[in-house]
Amino acid sequence: MSHKMSQPPSLLNKWIQENNELVNKWKQQEKGRDTVRQDHNQPHLKWCSYEFHKLLGIIQGIPPNSDYTQLELAVVYNAGVCATAQAQFSEAELFLTQAAERVLQVTGGETGASDPLVCWRAVLKSVENTHLHPSVLYLVCLQWAIWLATCQLKTIQEFQEEMPSLFETLCGGVGDGAISEARSKSSNIPLMVMDPRRLIELLQICTSIALGAERLTEGQSSEALTGLQAASSLPAPRALVGYTHLLSGSCLTHMRRPQMALQCYRKALETDSRCVCALYQSMLIYRQLGNTQAEIQALRLLHSTLMLPSATDPALASTHLLSPSSLLCSQSLSSLLSVPSALSVLHSLALKCLLCGRVSEGVEHYLDLLAVLHSEDQQGLHTQDATIPRLPELYLEAGAALLMARRPADCLALCSEVISTTLELLPEKVVLEEPEERREAETRDTEGENRVAMVLWTAAAYLLQGHCHSHLKDWKQAVTHYTRCINLLVKVRLKKRDFQPQFSSADMDVQRGKDLCVLQKLKGLSLAGRGISFTQTDKLKEALRDLQLSLQAFPECVGAGLWCGEVLWRLSRRREAAACWEKTWSLTTQSLVENLPVYLQEPQSGPLLDSAELRHRIQELGPT
Amino acid sequence: AMEGRCAVETWTEFGFLGTSTTPKVRFGTDVFICTGNDEVYVFSTHERKLKASNCFSVKDDLPLCCVSFSLNMTFHSCRAQSSSPDSSSIPAELKISEFLVIEADGVSSLLLVGTVLLTLSQRDSSWLMTLYKTPEQTESSSYEVLGSFSLPLVSAVVQADTESKTSVLICLHCGDTAPLTLPHGHFCLEPVLFKLLFGVEAALAKSPVILCGLPDGRLCFLPLRLPGARLRVLHSIEQPVVFVGASVVTETGPGHSQCLVAMGEQGRVVLIKTEKGRSEDGSSLAGFTEGIVSGPVQCGCLDRNCLYYSTGSDLLLLDLSEGSSGKESKERVEETSRKTLQSPTSLNVSRVVALAEPTSNTSVQLLGLSVRGQLQRISLPARRKDAGLSKLPSAQVGRSIRDLLSAIGDVCERSSVLKTAIKSKNQILRHLNQVVNISFLLTATNNTEDDPAIKEKPIRCHAMTSWSRLLQKDCLNLTCVLDNSSPFVLERGWTLSVTVFPLCCSSTAGEEISSANFSFPFQNLNSGETLEVLLPIAAAGDSSFPMTVNCSLIFSLSSLLGEQEAASSNISLPLNTLTVDWLNALQLNSPTARHKMVTFQPGSITTDPIQAFISSRQIRCSGRADRGAESGSRPEKYSASVRVSSELLKDSLVLKNSNLDPKISLSSLTVHACGPNGATVKLTAKKVGIVFSDELEVQVESSSMTAVCGLHHAVLSRIQVQTHTHTVRLNTIFREVQQNQISGALGVGMTAGQMNPGLLSVYQELRQNPLLII
Repeated sequence: MSHKMSQPPSLLNKWIQENNELVNKWKQQEKGRDTVRQDHNQPHLKWCSYEFHKLLGIIQGIPPNSDYTQLELAVVYNAGVCATAQAQFSEAELFLTQAAERVLQVTGGETGASDPLVCWRAVLKSVENTHLHPSVLYLVCLQWAIWLATCQLKTIQEFQEEMPSLFETLCGGVGDGAISEARSKSSNIPLMVMDPRRLIELLQICTSIALGAERLTEGQSSEALTGLQAASSLPAPRALVGYTHLLSGSCLTHMRRPQMALQCYRKALETDSRCVCALYQSMLIYRQLGNTQAEIQALRLLHSTLMLPSATDPALASTHLLSPSSLLCSQSLSSLLSVPSALSVLHSLALKCLLCGRVSEGVEHYLDLLAVLHSEDQQGLHTQDATIPRLPELYLEAGAALLMARRPADCLALCSEVISTTLELLPEKVVLEEPEERREAETRDTEGENRVAMVLWTAAAYLLQGHCHSHLKDWKQAVTHYTRCINLLVKVRLKKRDFQPQFSSADMDVQRGKDLCVLQKLKGLSLAGRGISFTQTDKLKEALRDLQLSLQAFPECVGAGLWCGEVLWRLSRRREAAACWEKTWSLTTQSLVENLPVYLQEPQSGPLLDSAELRHRIQELGPT
Repeated sequence: AMEGRCAVETWTEFGFLGTSTTPKVRFGTDVFICTGNDEVYVFSTHERKLKASNCFSVKDDLPLCCVSFSLNMTFHSCRAQSSSPDSSSIPAELKISEFLVIEADGVSSLLLVGTVLLTLSQRDSSWLMTLYKTPEQTESSSYEVLGSFSLPLVSAVVQADTESKTSVLICLHCGDTAPLTLPHGHFCLEPVLFKLLFGVEAALAKSPVILCGLPDGRLCFLPLRLPGARLRVLHSIEQPVVFVGASVVTETGPGHSQCLVAMGEQGRVVLIKTEKGRSEDGSSLAGFTEGIVSGPVQCGCLDRNCLYYSTGSDLLLLDLSEGSSGKESKERVEETSRKTLQSPTSLNVSRVVALAEPTSNTSVQLLGLSVRGQLQRISLPARRKDAGLSKLPSAQVGRSIRDLLSAIGDVCERSSVLKTAIKSKNQILRHLNQVVNISFLLTATNNTEDDPAIKEKPIRCHAMTSWSRLLQKDCLNLTCVLDNSSPFVLERGWTLSVTVFPLCCSSTAGEEISSANFSFPFQNLNSGETLEVLLPIAAAGDSSFPMTVNCSLIFSLSSLLGEQEAASSNISLPLNTLTVDWLNALQLNSPTARHKMVTFQPGSITTDPIQAFISSRQIRCSGRADRGAESGSRPEKYSASVRVSSELLKDSLVLKNSNLDPKISLSSLTVHACGPNGATVKLTAKKVGIVFSDELEVQVESSSMTAVCGLHHAVLSRIQVQTHTHTVRLNTIFREVQQNQISGALGVGMTAGQMNPGLLSVYQELRQNPLLII
């Protein structure tokens, strides 16, 4: 180098050196900072972009000249990559079109094509079999990256169809020659800020993934599957290969092949252990298949994976300037990859455990959930997803779970928390509007508190407290709490007069009249509870009245039906009692309202009647 | 209700008056003051001394736009530290090394809630609230982002004019769930109000709620620990929010704030309280009471039941409690469904830019920071009803005297400020009076146009020309002398403006006139003083003579009233017009030729048309005759001549106060000179004497037609003016004669002996000034 320093270097060498210095500086910075997150590289990236732009301006200050073209194209590539990495796509495209024009001016090709595809075709034709060919191909790659990042999948498809040979050249070992050449005489070859071969690899798999997601959303599952399965063998970062498997699984799910889909999800997880979406999708399939144990297992895994500190890191952390996440930004893909928050998963897990009878496990999960909500640690709370129920309902669910686990004291505490929160705000009366009207107005965050919901929460809390006291056989307290519940419920007036207050839940549109359904169920359960409590204190008259009212409000209440019969029996109205029992048994075969909250299920813990004993009594009674 | 005055005790002075940005202040046991540059002061209110200054400074490589923010940043990180238990003796904040915790643009305010740091910043189309997790160890280089919430901007218009303004962030805790000691910016709200405003879910989650006041007037809230919560708008006061706080208002209750107060920049106040049983179903509602006090509000703070706010010129107190009067008129209040605010009480403390809530329980004391950088303790006088109940002990009397004295000091300070303001205004009025007097003087003489020679303006210009050699080039300079013979002083603000333009061009308006304008501002010109200015009017070879020199005086009001008051109001008063003709511009060929020539004074262009006609005929005739006789052999090709009496010539061409070489007058008959265009000219005067014995012929000869014409014109115009003055003088003589006759006839005050010499002199004057041109 010393002989070079003695004489003034030519303009070309000076510019090459400047470019290479910039590239080396960037690479050093990248190495030094690879532990730090992407956004901390931004200022340096900005600076690099600016410097490349400046250098490009100087180089393009002279008319197009074949001696300088290779250098110029390299600088255009570098400046373009930096601009694309900063999401300045229009700037990057401007670099590219300018470069194309200048290449055509050098080679004497036809200029003036406005369509980028036509333009690039012309440029490639003009540089065919020249030393400029690889450099131009790199720029085409960059153009491809910009199309991908701006979700212009149609253009990419067209490009692939129009220039199949070129596409192959690109995907095949293009640039190998240039690289080996670069190694041989390093100082005279302009360096690139990102290895073009890496870029091509990235582009291929990202294009496949984006296309697959697009087709899947459009319903072309089998086409998508073919493309994705082909892409899964491409050389790429693990996370991206994982995505191909994951999307293949989604295609198979759409094609109603759940077992094959599960296999794909497993592959995705094997490829990339942080692919939480695969876990989530598997869980959905188990739920669909009705495999509760597997579903719970998947939920548990999903939750613990989401709670790992690495889960918050971006899955596609990049080692390169252009990250996969910046190339994969289509709406359809992100909706396919979305996973509920850890909190929501934990709730699903708790509820599932509770519903399938793993009560103690469910209680633990509910308690975890409440602990997370009250912890100082804000981790995971600040998500915009609204899939978990509102907080008082969560408390009530947890209370119900505690009661099921025979921890009435804890349940009482939770309920009194809810009651103390809402008590001062309860209205004297509240109107439950017609379902159709309400539905339009109903959003999760309506202005002001939803008064009906508040009444229903408080009533449910009293109901649970009543259950707790009856579990503890404190009948007086139970009656008090059931009465409080009933008193609250009568404050709710129905707006539509001709609306049937007595209804069968089977023909009730649950989603629409959910509040009404909850109201009726609450009435039924609280009256039944009070009736049963009265039975225990031998106030049979009151008991009969309450139980009959309960059945009026909610005919499917099994406890009310059975206990009504029992009271009738004790009142020596045995025929009526037998009819009542028969009717109740015939009802139980009907499906219960699935969507009702868990705290509105009939208590399993109160005084029970043995059906077999009842049947025996009927038999003893003999036929009429 | 207030008795006495506020006592203001200055604790320390920071002296950062003049910084453009308002200082950022955090009050507490340690007061942190950021002056807007790179200094932060820490003042201990217990020890009453400055504990540290300049303990943080902004790193050089930060962009300037982030300076205030990053300072604020360090501010908060050190606040977090100072609350740690083991930092009792040495201020903990001194131990904190500087580091940049967050790098973000456009942050307008921030707040620390537990381990969470909140920032509020404005993006292109939305407000963004970002939550950061503060690490346990301060060595960490950056804070982890926990989440962010956005709220769209109202409109682009609002965005434009609220750019520089800051927002307010406070944290509200629900009743009994609040921590025991609340840091700055945290309030404990009464549970029912909390639930009414922010929902039962927030209360159930025991989540603190962040309330922010935006520059567009919106009050937004965010439950911090509620899953799925969003940033929502609570209310809007439609003007930039200056202050948001919570107050107890009533004495009952366990100290939970029952009233949320927000205050806008233009004085709009909104009180948010629980109103029991106001809704149709009998449940409680959150009531919003709005009112307007006179703004602009600079800062505010709350104590148990009062809102204190500073408008810059005064500190005011607004009683928020419904009080005794409020209770009496409860029925009336309910009839007029909208409650009104009480009227604010002035506390007579001016220039407070930052306030902190009272620190003492026994009496009301505020901490204030004045615009001059004084940290003050403002002790409010006790309320009258309390004062009436108990007699003050002697120690308290002593203290109240001290308070009174310091209040007097404060009033003195305010009055001295007012005095200086009045003084400067008087000065301006006096100045303006002079200006108006001068204007009247000059415009009045303008109007009486009939005798311009006699009624000369008391402020006028005269001028002299002189040739000088500069950079190998001769140029003609004009020495213009402004003579103030008026009884008034021309004070600061006046400018002498001199406009020079060629006479011939001025008639043809369409052409581009090569006029030059010179202005000379001057400080003070007393009565009888002169101001001499020198200005170049032509270079050699330039022959655009004669030139007109317009002098005027200009007074700019902006110099008196300041820039913004009077943008374009200037008073322009024309003085007089001078003429620089060929005679003035001659360069005599004698060695002593570079001397001054005096331009003739007033209105030299007003000539009699008949005489002009005669003179023009003369030029034609003689010019033709000469050309015919000597055809080109001699250099003086053209000539023109004028016949005048020698007396007149002497008067007109040689004035008494000129130091002109006497050669040019009667003794020397021929003068060779060089005109401004370079042509040599010959001026000859010879006796002709046919009709009158002293009749002279003045002849101008030159090879240049321009020179001949120019000089001839100059000579003629001077003679014409001279005759004009002669006629005027004759008129006066006549008047004197008449007067003498009248007085003689009446025989009042004048004897025959006195009268006769008077008449004689008049007569002689008449004889000595014969009226003659040809």
